[in-house]
Amino acid sequence: MLIVFCPNCGPRPVEEFRFGGELPSPPESITDPAERDFDQVWMFNNVAGIHTERWYHDAGCHRWTTVRRDTRVDRIVEQHVSLRPD
Amino acid sequence: MRAPERLWALRVVSTPEALDHAHYEGDVIVLRIANDEAIAIGAVHAELTDEHAIVEVESTFVGWDLSLAEFDEIVHRHVEWPLPAERPALAQGLVAGLPLKFWIDHDRVLMISSNGLVHEVVDRLGVPA
Amino acid sequence: MNEFVETLLSLTWHEPRSSYDVVIIGGGGHGLATAYYLATRHGITNVAVVEADYIGSGNSGRNTTIIRSNYGIPESIRFYRHSQVLYDRLEDETGCWIMHATKGLIWLAHTESAMRAERARCQLNNAMGVETVLVDPVEIKRLCPQIDLSGGGRYPVLGASYHVPASTARHDRVVWAYAQGAMERGVHVLQQTTVTGLLRDGDRVVGVRTNRGDIAAGTVMSAVGGDVTTIASYAGVRLPVRTHPLQAFVTNGYSQGFGPIVSDTELLCYISQTARGQMLIGHEYDREQSYSRQSSFQFLQANAVKMSYLLPFVRNLRILRQWTGRCDVSADFSPIMGFTGVDGFVITTGWGTWGFKAIPAGGEQMAELIATGRTPEMIAPFALDRFAADHSMADQGSTGTR
Repeated sequence: MLIVFCPNCGPRPVEEFRFGGELPSPPESITDPAERDFDQVWMFNNVAGIHTERWYHDAGCHRWTTVRRDTRVDRIVEQHVSLRPD
Repeated sequence: MRAPERLWALRVVSTPEALDHAHYEGDVIVLRIANDEAIAIGAVHAELTDEHAIVEVESTFVGWDLSLAEFDEIVHRHVEWPLPAERPALAQGLVAGLPLKFWIDHDRVLMISSNGLVHEVVDRLGVPA
Repeated sequence: MNEFVETLLSLTWHEPRSSYDVVIIGGGGHGLATAYYLATRHGITNVAVVEADYIGSGNSGRNTTIIRSNYGIPESIRFYRHSQVLYDRLEDETGCWIMHATKGLIWLAHTESAMRAERARCQLNNAMGVETVLVDPVEIKRLCPQIDLSGGGRYPVLGASYHVPASTARHDRVVWAYAQGAMERGVHVLQQTTVTGLLRDGDRVVGVRTNRGDIAAGTVMSAVGGDVTTIASYAGVRLPVRTHPLQAFVTNGYSQGFGPIVSDTELLCYISQTARGQMLIGHEYDREQSYSRQSSFQFLQANAVKMSYLLPFVRNLRILRQWTGRCDVSADFSPIMGFTGVDGFVITTGWGTWGFKAIPAGGEQMAELIATGRTPEMIAPFALDRFAADHSMADQGSTGTR
């Protein structure tokens, strides 16, 4: 079972959360702003590997948290990832 | 064990700093459900330093007042995640598939659910209606 | 391999040649059907189907075998209806028994808004020549006597749309029928051959790199399920596709007959009886993207509860097996077929939870596209460039997901 560490409520089974999808991140190779916008809206990295994604704590504090999960084995490798630049 | 009672509360959304120093009128239990949101049960007025704070009457919750023994006997075995060790403390999450909140004090536990889920809580946990 | 394979198939396995006219990546239903139709309809037999494991080992062996065309947009209805027609002919055409059985599909509604959606579905289906009729609870009870119309007191049944031509077929046999038909005509099927890259000549794709060496190709087609993002990335193609696990399970045998397929788009689960008498129960795909094929207890629990509201008899059955496939879900919940913008590389993907029913039509249309170099009119709406052109084919309501 996946356990997500909610920064407000503590470690919880993933069933308490709603999946918010991968963070859209167009590849660096796309430089045209319009093409980057298009990619951001429609395309997915759909990584087979470490996937940065958002979860919403629906059954608890109603706040979002970000984790990194290995989609090949379905394990969270990093909890409560900060998205703010240092 | 008594039947659940309607809880009258204020829901306050504000900055974490303002919530840390908020004053409420009355005999109040403050549930800090997130760092920028609190539910003050029993409060009729909130004093905050944040002029943009949102304060709304919250009347959709009901609460069961349980002794520690009742909580241990009836409810605790349905909780599949660790409860906080400090007292008093707020715990919130899915219990028997239902979103519940607990205000765990030294000798009592207030079990809180949304009014619309009372019949489900009664069904699944066996607490009085 | 079991007794079916031994009696059904007379297959000849080949060593890879260094070059083919067409290389198809993925030996599932779509890949093998494309090879079959290239050989039978277009006389193109210098074709290899490259499969990383054994044929039908991916989603073709993990689906719930429902064939239907009760979609919510005209382009999809026409396409899936055509696929039903090809399925109806497949046993005669290939001489293989695919255990095709017409059952009818009851698509339940529990709320007024769901009833409105089903009314609209019936009207649109009928306008497109597909027999889907609105039925009331009395009629539902007649079609499926086991149903609890009160939904366990929680999900009362207000009505349903009844899709008359819905059917099921034995999934392995569909794969084997296409494989046999293609191989008899000279197509090479290369099992245990993993594609690790695409051969490029400038911008053009000119072959595949595999664990058994490089294979040159005039055209490379990706028909993989589950790893399409990786394969497409070898050609520099970005896809509006997310890969989710899709789980299902079967129970032990239910001694009575259970006629129709029952599906519930509000509870997001569906059930049918297999030819062995087992009850086959499925669900929407898992919410989070994953490449893991791990089955979960949470799925069993949630799904068994929901199904026992509708069909109380399932409470007395036992779960025999559960399994998980990977499904590629496109951004608008419709498939993606056709050219990719990269010369020599075509694709069929986005088959999410609706790929098995599309195997014949998808294979036939992709074969025509490869043979003629032009997009057939029937699948033109499903081209990859529709997203950039703002012509998305949104039809989530017909996919059994939310």
